[in-house]
Amino acid sequence: MPDLEIRPILGTMRRNPVGAILIALQVAFTLGVVANSLFIINDRIGLINRPTGFDIDNIVTVQSTLLDDPADKLQQVRTDIEALEAIPGVIAATSVTQLPLSNSGSGTELFASADPNAPEVNGARFTMTETGLDAMGLTLAEGRWFREDEIKLPSTYGDPINVVIVTRVMADALFPDGNALGATVYDHLRRPVTLIGIVEHMQGSWISWQHLDNNIFTPQVPMQRFARYVIRTEPGSLDQVMSQVEPTLAATEPRRIVQRLRPYSEIRDRTYTEHRAMAIMLGVVSVLLIIVTAVGIVGLVSFVVRQRTRQIGTRRAIGAQRLHIVRYFLVENWLMTTGGAIVGMALAFGVNYWLANLFSLPRLDPWYLPAGLVILWLVGLLSVFAPARRAARISPAIATRGAAL
Amino acid sequence: MLEMKNIAKIYRTEAIATHALRDFDLSVADGEFVTVTGPSGSGKTTFLNIAGLLEDPTDGTYKLDGEEVGQLNDRAKSRIRNEKIGFIFQSFNLIPDLDVTDNIDVPLRYRGLPGAERSKRIRDALEIVGLASRQHHLPSQLSGGQQQRVAIARALAGRPRFLLADEPTGNLDSEMASQVIALLDDINAQGTTIIMVTHDMSLAGHGGREVRLLDGRLASPDDAETLAATGTGV
Repeated sequence: MPDLEIRPILGTMRRNPVGAILIALQVAFTLGVVANSLFIINDRIGLINRPTGFDIDNIVTVQSTLLDDPADKLQQVRTDIEALEAIPGVIAATSVTQLPLSNSGSGTELFASADPNAPEVNGARFTMTETGLDAMGLTLAEGRWFREDEIKLPSTYGDPINVVIVTRVMADALFPDGNALGATVYDHLRRPVTLIGIVEHMQGSWISWQHLDNNIFTPQVPMQRFARYVIRTEPGSLDQVMSQVEPTLAATEPRRIVQRLRPYSEIRDRTYTEHRAMAIMLGVVSVLLIIVTAVGIVGLVSFVVRQRTRQIGTRRAIGAQRLHIVRYFLVENWLMTTGGAIVGMALAFGVNYWLANLFSLPRLDPWYLPAGLVILWLVGLLSVFAPARRAARISPAIATRGAAL
Repeated sequence: MLEMKNIAKIYRTEAIATHALRDFDLSVADGEFVTVTGPSGSGKTTFLNIAGLLEDPTDGTYKLDGEEVGQLNDRAKSRIRNEKIGFIFQSFNLIPDLDVTDNIDVPLRYRGLPGAERSKRIRDALEIVGLASRQHHLPSQLSGGQQQRVAIARALAGRPRFLLADEPTGNLDSEMASQVIALLDDINAQGTTIIMVTHDMSLAGHGGREVRLLDGRLASPDDAETLAATGTGV
């Protein structure tokens, strides 16, 4: 075990505390901010990368508004879907009333029994056609999807329905003991509905909602002149299909406005804009702080090397190898960094407490503190290495020249 | 045994080449006390730097205990400086932020000695220089003479075969200088070879042998007039 000279270095720092304290404070502040930033960045990236449950990268969405009331809206939707599915590269298309991850839409509640005191289970409500499963790329876990004859044009979305499909999380919330498939559930007006299928997973509309994964599928098409379509394409066909959507819809019914033709990933990106911006901003701030800390360490060590030139020469004269000199500065900096980091860990908890209250964030995972410490150790060691090597190149002959240490 | 043959040292800049030492021969036997004198610029410090492996000669051979040391790599020279050579500097060169004990400990740590052995050597060295009661003092809390005795203790703790002293009394008043010289005499009497570079002619030949330098080479009897004129007479 090499002699790291820890005790004499600590003694030297105690007698000349200003530089060490400044670096330690800078490290403490940087650790406090970086640990929290990493935590928040990771939290946001985790949010963005949650599995959606549908084939988000191969889906196109489009919105259509007819200029005239259609004679048969259900038939118009079917005609549109058939035309869209005829575009080369399209796997399936469906109409929907709202889009997952769009941060807008409506929800409803289901009950496991008609008992007025039965707890309600809330979920976002998605109306789809018999092609919805394939058009979204969902995975059916149990039961079946809607049949063509079950699809209705409602007069209001509160119209009674006979069958319903829910996500697995929603099914488990309704029936914690299992056996949800085939069960009778009750809608918001306590009317019975048969639960015919369970979808493995799909994220709903509002990304910050605690019941994001609670989703209800009903066999309906959009009312009146408005319709929104989801079109799932073969991998790699997205751009080509997008170019065909508008002329295809125009061919089936020219008197309509086609809007918001976009890849689904764009909707997700727009929804998560703030989260992404926050992650980028915190990343930039962290990198800047780390650079400032590194520059501070380089500056202090360079100053100390100049100040101690003759002392270093004397150490070399009385037997220090270059390695000893480099190691001295590395250990000295490591002690400063570690001292600052210990303060920084307390600061990190404080900053997290403040941020958690201000932005309703979860409490800091303690693993981010050692992660921040390791980052700052590495920054410290890399920063000190160049000036320490310069110090090690000081000639021992300096020791016999004039002037005090 | 220290042996230099045809040692030359040339400092080169873009404009000029300065011959600090030329055709310099010197043999110092074990246990000798040699004083090296000469006027300013005569090459005394260059000689000491080469003898102490602080600088490389430009030419010539230098053997220490029979081993050619002039062209060793930096690590090997550091080890020899640490194990065989003790240095005493005119300005003491103590580390101001370390107390007496830690100052003496510096070269011992580089040698990798265990803590107990280092402590014993530090105690012994402080006993020899008469500063056992000052072991926790900082250099700034000691007089010049005391500081130089600490520097001697630092050199002695390594139990060197050669002690190189560069104007060890240059920054001391006469009383303190006498104490330091008496201490060096005692150390030499214990068998340590001492080479002392000095400007002070009252110390010339103190240990029994004097080497005079002039213009980077050994002075000859023909140089008596020049040496007399510079106050470092024959």
